[in-house]
Amino acid sequence: MKIIPENNPNYALQLATERKKNFTSWLLTAPALLWLIFFFLIPYLIVIIYSFLTADIYDVKFEFTLEAYRQCLTPAYLHTLFLSFRLALLTTLLCLLLGFPVAYYIARAKDKVKNTLLIFIIIPFWTNLIIRIFSWRIFLAYNGVLNNILLNLGLISQPLEIMRTDIAVILVMVYVYLPYMILPLYSVLEKLDWTLLNAAMDLGANEIISFFKITLPLARGGIFAGGLLVFIPALGSYLIPQLVGNQKSLYLGQVITYKVKNIPRNWPMASALSLILLLIVALFLIMFYVLYSHSKSRRRV
Amino acid sequence: MEEIRLENLSKDFDGFVAVENVSLSIQSGELFSFLGPSGCGKTTLLRMIAGFEIPSTGRILIGNTDITDLPPYKRQVNTIFQNYSLFPHMTVFDNVAFGLRIRKFPKNEINDRVKEMLTLVKMEDQANKYPDQISGGQKQRIAIARALINKPKVLLLDEPLAALDLKLRQHMLIELMNIHDAVGITFIYVTHDQSEAMSISDRVAVMNYGHIIQSGPPDDIYERPTSVFSAYFIGATNLITGEVIGIEDDYVQIRCPDGTGNSFEIDSTFHFQPAIGQELTISLRPEKIAISRNKPRYQEDINILRGVIEDILYLGSHTQYIVRVGDLRIRVFSQHKRVYFDDTALDWEEPVWLFWHDTDTWLIDEIPENVLTADELSEGGINHFQRSLKRPTAQ
Repeated sequence: MKIIPENNPNYALQLATERKKNFTSWLLTAPALLWLIFFFLIPYLIVIIYSFLTADIYDVKFEFTLEAYRQCLTPAYLHTLFLSFRLALLTTLLCLLLGFPVAYYIARAKDKVKNTLLIFIIIPFWTNLIIRIFSWRIFLAYNGVLNNILLNLGLISQPLEIMRTDIAVILVMVYVYLPYMILPLYSVLEKLDWTLLNAAMDLGANEIISFFKITLPLARGGIFAGGLLVFIPALGSYLIPQLVGNQKSLYLGQVITYKVKNIPRNWPMASALSLILLLIVALFLIMFYVLYSHSKSRRRV
Repeated sequence: MEEIRLENLSKDFDGFVAVENVSLSIQSGELFSFLGPSGCGKTTLLRMIAGFEIPSTGRILIGNTDITDLPPYKRQVNTIFQNYSLFPHMTVFDNVAFGLRIRKFPKNEINDRVKEMLTLVKMEDQANKYPDQISGGQKQRIAIARALINKPKVLLLDEPLAALDLKLRQHMLIELMNIHDAVGITFIYVTHDQSEAMSISDRVAVMNYGHIIQSGPPDDIYERPTSVFSAYFIGATNLITGEVIGIEDDYVQIRCPDGTGNSFEIDSTFHFQPAIGQELTISLRPEKIAISRNKPRYQEDINILRGVIEDILYLGSHTQYIVRVGDLRIRVFSQHKRVYFDDTALDWEEPVWLFWHDTDTWLIDEIPENVLTADELSEGGINHFQRSLKRPTAQ
C-alpha cells in the first residue's frame, strides 16, 4: 500500500525511521567497506601505478613506460603463464574426477555416516598448510616413506625421483584443493532428489545414462563452484610449487615473488604480472558465469 | 491377455517385514488399488513391481514372464511418483520425450508421439515450459504423459494425488479414470485415501502390517468386510462386540454389554455360522441407523436402542450424531430430509431412539482389540465405535 504523506500524520516519523535505517545499514557495512578500501582498493591502485613505472635495482624510477608489459609478453614469461594455466586446469580436472565420487558417496550415505565423513574431509584444515606440504616432502623424498615402501615390497629396484618434479606439484595441489571441490559438490548432491534417478531408470535409462542425463546436469552448480574454488587459487599458487617443485619450471606465483625478492628487483614487472593474473582470473570468472547461465538458460524447442 | 501375478511376495528390511507373503493376480486392463495406512507395505509392494526393491522371497510375473529380478529399466512398467519427479532441468517436452529418446526412437516419431501424449493430457500448449513454471495438477498430467508414452503394460501410481488440494484431486481422479479408459492398460494405484480408492478402482486390496486383509470390488469391501480392520478402515462404522445367545434359521441374537453392567440385544442376519456363546463383532454403518425422538412402531425385524445425544456435528449434506447408549458411543449419520416425521432439530442431551433393520448389521468373526492398535481404537473417539469395556489407557 502506498502511503500518501499529507494523509498520514506519521509521515515525519516514518521518514525519520527510514533515515535511521539507512544510517544503520551504512554503519554496519562501514568496517568491511573501509577494510576493502584501505587494504584492497588502494594497494591495487598502487600496483597498477607501479606496473607503468621504470625498474631500478632496488626500487622504481617514476618514469612512465610500458616496458614491464612488453617483457611480460616475451616467450619466457608466456611459457610461465602457460605452465600455471596447465597446472590449474589439471588440478581442477583431477579434483573433479576424484572429488565427484567422494561427494556422491557422502551425499548418499546415512546421516550419521555422512557427518563423520564430512569431518574427515575437513580434518586436514586443522593442520597448517606448510606442515602438510612438508609431510609430503618427507613422504615423496628420494629416501622417503613412499620409496622405502616400494623398495621393500620389491616393486622398484631404485628409488623414484618424484620430489621436485611437476608430478609432485600436481599431486600435492590435488591433495590440498580436493576438499574445496568436494564440499560444493556435496552440497548440491545432497539436495538432489534421488527419486529423479528412480524416475529415469523407470523410463528406461540404465545407471550410466541416468548419471549423465540427470545427476551430472543437476550437479552443474556444484561443479562450477568447486571448479572456481580450485582453479583460481591454483592459478596463482606459490607455496606448493616452491616447496615440492623444481626451479626449471617456474609458475606465475613464483616468478612474481622472485621479481620482488631477488636483486635486481623489478617492481613494475611483478606488478604487471599480478595484474595479468588478475585479468585472467576475471576473464575466467566471466567465462564461467556465461557458461553457467547459458547452461541454465531456458532452451526453446 | 497379460495379467500380473504376485506369488508369495515378501520383503524384509533388516528384520522389519514390510510385505509378507502376498499373493494376488491383477487382470489386464484393471484399475487395481492397494489401500492401507502409512507403513502397511503398499508402497514397498509397488516398488517391487516397479523394480526398485528386490523381493526377499516370491515372484512377480507379467503374463508368463518372470520380472522379479529385472532392473527397472528392463521392465514394461512405468511409475507415477508421489511428487511427480519431473526432471527440473528439462522442458515439459523433453520430460515426456525422455523414455523414447533413451530407446533411440527416430526424431519424427518422438515429436509425433510427444504431441499426441500432450494432447491426451491436455497440455499441448505447455510443451516449452519448465516443471517449475507449471502448477501441481499440470505436473501430474506431465508425469502421466511421460509414463504412458512408453506404452507400458502396467502403470503404477504411488499416491499420485496426495500433493493436490481437494477440488483438484476430485478433478484429477475423474481424468485418471478417463485416461485409464482411453489407454486401456492396467493401472495399479496406491493410496491411503479410501474415498480415492473406492471411487476409481475396479478392485481394492486393503492392506495392514504387510498383509492383504481383504480384496475385492469397493462395494463388496464396504458392505461386506471380512475383518474388523477393513470395516474400520473403509468408511465410518460402529464396531460393537457381543456374545451370541441365540441362533434361528436366518438371524442370530447377540447380547452386547453396554459398559455399565447392563446389556442390550441385537438381532442380525448372518453370513457365517456362529456358535452359541461365541464373541464376535457387529459392524453397523452410521448411515444405516435411523434416529428419532419418537419411539418407532415395533416390528419383528427391526432393532431398537434407546440413547442420549452426546454430540452433534453439522456436515452440510448430513449431520453426525454421537449417541450414548450406556457407556457406548454410537455414531449416526442423518440426512437432512425436508419431509420427515421429526421436524424440529434434535438437541444435545436429548433422549432418542435408534433403529435399524436386521439386515443392515454385518457380523465379523474377530474382536477389535485383537486387530486394532490402541491408537486406532481411540482415534478421535468418534471415527469408529469406542468400546468402553476395555477403553485403552492413555500411554
